[in-house]
Amino acid sequence: MKKQGKTILEYTLLIILACIFIFPLLWMIFSSMKPEEAIYVDMSSIKALLPSLHPSDWLETYKTLFARFNVPQYILNSIVYAVVITVGSTVVNAMAGYAFAKFEFRGKKFLFGLLLILLIVPVETIIITQFTVVHTLGILNTRLAVVLPMMANMFFIYLFRNFFMAVPDEIIESVKLDGANYWTIFWKIMLPMSKPAVATVGTLSFIASWNDYLWPLMVLTDTEKFPLQVAITNINTTQPVYTNQVMAILTISTIPLIIVYIVAQKYILQGLGGSGTGIK
Amino acid sequence: MNTNKRENIAAYSFLTPAFVLLGLFLIIPSILAIYYAFTDYYLLTPDKRQFIGIGNFIEIFKDPIFLQSLKNIIIFVVFVIPIQVGTALGLALLINKQRKGNMLFKVAYFSPVVLSLVVISVLWLYLLNPSEGLINTILVNIGLDPQPFLSSPDQAMLTIVLVSAWQGAGYQMLIFLAGLQNIPSSVYEAGKIDGVNKWQNFFHITLPLLKPTSILIMITTLISAFKLIIQPMVMTQGGPMNSTITPVYYIYQTGFSDRLIGYSSAMTVVFGIVIGIITLIQHKATKEDETQ
Amino acid sequence: MKKLLLCLIIAMLFTVITACGGDEEASSDSDAVSVWVHTSKETPEGKAMQTIIDRFNKKYDGEYSAAIEFIPRSGSGGGYEDKINAALTTNTLPDILTLDGPNTAAYADAGMIAPIDEYLTNKDDLLPSIIEQGTYEGKMYAVGYSESGVGIFYNKKMLKEAGVDLATLSTIDNPWDWNQFMELNQTLVDTFDKPAIDMGFDDQSEWLMYAFSPFLWSQGGSIVSEDGTSASGVFNDENAVKAFTFIQNMVKKGYATITPVEKGFHTGEYPLKFGGSWTITELEEYPDIEYGIMPYPTSPDTGELVSPSGSWQYAMSATTDKKEAAGKLIDFLVSTESLTEITLANSVLPAAYSVIEEVQDKVSPELNFLIEQNSKSAHARPVLPAYPQVSRVFQQTVSDATYYKENSDIQKLLDNKVEQINKALSK
Repeated sequence: MKKQGKTILEYTLLIILACIFIFPLLWMIFSSMKPEEAIYVDMSSIKALLPSLHPSDWLETYKTLFARFNVPQYILNSIVYAVVITVGSTVVNAMAGYAFAKFEFRGKKFLFGLLLILLIVPVETIIITQFTVVHTLGILNTRLAVVLPMMANMFFIYLFRNFFMAVPDEIIESVKLDGANYWTIFWKIMLPMSKPAVATVGTLSFIASWNDYLWPLMVLTDTEKFPLQVAITNINTTQPVYTNQVMAILTISTIPLIIVYIVAQKYILQGLGGSGTGIK
Repeated sequence: MNTNKRENIAAYSFLTPAFVLLGLFLIIPSILAIYYAFTDYYLLTPDKRQFIGIGNFIEIFKDPIFLQSLKNIIIFVVFVIPIQVGTALGLALLINKQRKGNMLFKVAYFSPVVLSLVVISVLWLYLLNPSEGLINTILVNIGLDPQPFLSSPDQAMLTIVLVSAWQGAGYQMLIFLAGLQNIPSSVYEAGKIDGVNKWQNFFHITLPLLKPTSILIMITTLISAFKLIIQPMVMTQGGPMNSTITPVYYIYQTGFSDRLIGYSSAMTVVFGIVIGIITLIQHKATKEDETQ
Repeated sequence: MKKLLLCLIIAMLFTVITACGGDEEASSDSDAVSVWVHTSKETPEGKAMQTIIDRFNKKYDGEYSAAIEFIPRSGSGGGYEDKINAALTTNTLPDILTLDGPNTAAYADAGMIAPIDEYLTNKDDLLPSIIEQGTYEGKMYAVGYSESGVGIFYNKKMLKEAGVDLATLSTIDNPWDWNQFMELNQTLVDTFDKPAIDMGFDDQSEWLMYAFSPFLWSQGGSIVSEDGTSASGVFNDENAVKAFTFIQNMVKKGYATITPVEKGFHTGEYPLKFGGSWTITELEEYPDIEYGIMPYPTSPDTGELVSPSGSWQYAMSATTDKKEAAGKLIDFLVSTESLTEITLANSVLPAAYSVIEEVQDKVSPELNFLIEQNSKSAHARPVLPAYPQVSRVFQQTVSDATYYKENSDIQKLLDNKVEQINKALSK
């Protein structure tokens, strides 16, 4: 009896909190399914968080949007960039994190300090010099220029280092005795045993690359290579701005992120199987 | 000796990809920015760039807007860190559990992180509108005075604190969750046998094991809080009366709108040093704490 | 399943890496005049630009050719302008580019763009505000391809409800002064018991400069001295004090709100609004609102009607090695035919007299009102290399003035801002 009361209390709290955090998502989705006028008329009442009463309105905005923009192509570009960056960034940063966590080498303190200093650099302010570097490398207007600068990330290296440090040394030693080299240890022991870190970095770097607008625009000139964010900014700043279309394209752009997040969370749970990073 | 050398080589080969990329796209541009700080680089005439010594730096300390921006960001950081990190930890503990429908809650709490700021700013500007907004309607209904929020020089920054914490907490929550899930459940099971209760469990097992994650979150959240730019950019454009202008926003404005790259680089250097010192102090403080 | 995923990722990696090879060829079409524009090819404006370029290529087939690239900007011009700046540092500017009106002086002063007077065959046809906006130190560096303007939108139903006779409202030939305008606001506030007008005070960006500087000009004031070197005795003179006092009074007396709700006019919340040609297009989605447009209120001292103006322009990069072809193209881009096409596509105001004649029968009466006001009273923003800083100080002055409790002394506020403008001008 007491336990049941507690469960109800717990769920009430969870639901109230959920409402506080999720209302913009609902508003975005439902606003995309209304005529422009209805969005602002509904704004002052609960109707703002409900879909339009006429189901025939629901897909109207999306039809207009797809007629105006080549949405599938933008999405495809975004997916390619985000997947390549996510995979690349997970591998590159995990490798560096592994070195910091499990090796003693000369200059370790210095390099780690450097990493923390780089964390401080406000990236927004050095974009022109970054552009100069890309120009010098001769990769302007290629997809490579979009993905390469997004891969290495101090924060993710730091995160991997922390998680790898938690992997017990005994396991590494025992595999070493079996004749495994460092690469095998990294690939077969470190990564699988740090699934929460891999999933987290994967989610975060997918989101970061998905939402990046300025950099792709700087280095690309062909419209065919632009990611979805460019289309979003465009819809959102070309006068007159139609709020329902903005919300529709934002809904389209948010759904993949939610899916990636859910899949990553599921992956963590599945991998842990209740045993955590313990010795199996 | 031999293994030592082998370990060095191995370590460096694991570091190479990351550091080559960081070197190209972050370290070189940063070094250039430091050099520009000592020049009168005007964005539209890169060829006429001249070395002017510490001229820019002298001007910075006489620039009332830069000094105001430092004051603003300190207010922001002092308030946002405990609120945001506390919320994140609370949410992570709350949903780090197998229960029916848990994934729904996970999605809900994380959703502001993936949402576009366009949505967030439009909605919050509506909710916070002094005369028509929902929040003031609620305040009045429970017998409180309506507040001006973003339109008041005194409240604008604090309002941005709350919106940022609300929006960003999901990010740190995700990392806390990863940290929590990395704690082997065998540890808890051992505790269970010893008959410890939930609170003891939390303070004696969870918190200490979560320490490395917490330090990481504190440091990185602190640094990114100092670099605040987007929220004031979309919600207040630095106003009213410069009460929400932040250093990075001002640096961005000076560099890209006003095209004074030299001066803006000098501010970047000064501001970088300020954050560096504060981070170092914080780092030292948490380290000492660890040895207790 | 895992293998399939792996294959997919490898395939993507492959596209990313191989894609570089193919592009080099595509961009090596070096005979064509390259054009960068700030809009996307999906917008009506972008589509019109593409057809104009296609027409150019057809007409001059074998002689000249042009290729257009679309670089969509974000709200404040970011993105596109960042890209122009980056191209400048690496010497990779296109032959022709678009730029926003206020950038003319900075680009010309830095030697980025070349004078184009000699290439323009229809200069007399252009509106004076277009010439003013594109001229720096006596030479024309850029030519606007459309105009913009702002009027006072009013909700007919709400005005009638407040007992206002619509026939007596302000007209372009006989515009109201500030006092008459404030009387109308007073009536509306008395009737509806809330602010009457959304003047866009929440948009603390270029809007505050663009929409509020005409009050200063109508009063006979100015922001900086004629030679553009100082604001002392100009931005803090009697005229400036009067103009900013009017702005402050609009808020102080409760007529305008500094925190208007989004689309308040469109939903019948406020009976009045400062709006432009884009507002007309927006209102098509709100068929319930019946509205009309009034001209800008004028200073009671001069009665002179002055309205905001300015928009994006074409210019030729100074480093181009195809001056003749680029000049031909610019002239083609601003021919009556091309301008008419873009004006109609984008529902904006025309930049030339001949275009006004072409379009006036094809557009709504509301747009025609703005066109007429624009041709009679448009005033370009100052052409200064330090425009961004000067504009920002002006914006902050407007915003600060609306905080009437903190800044009740307008003279003191302006004295303070003069210092900031002078500092920017001296850099």
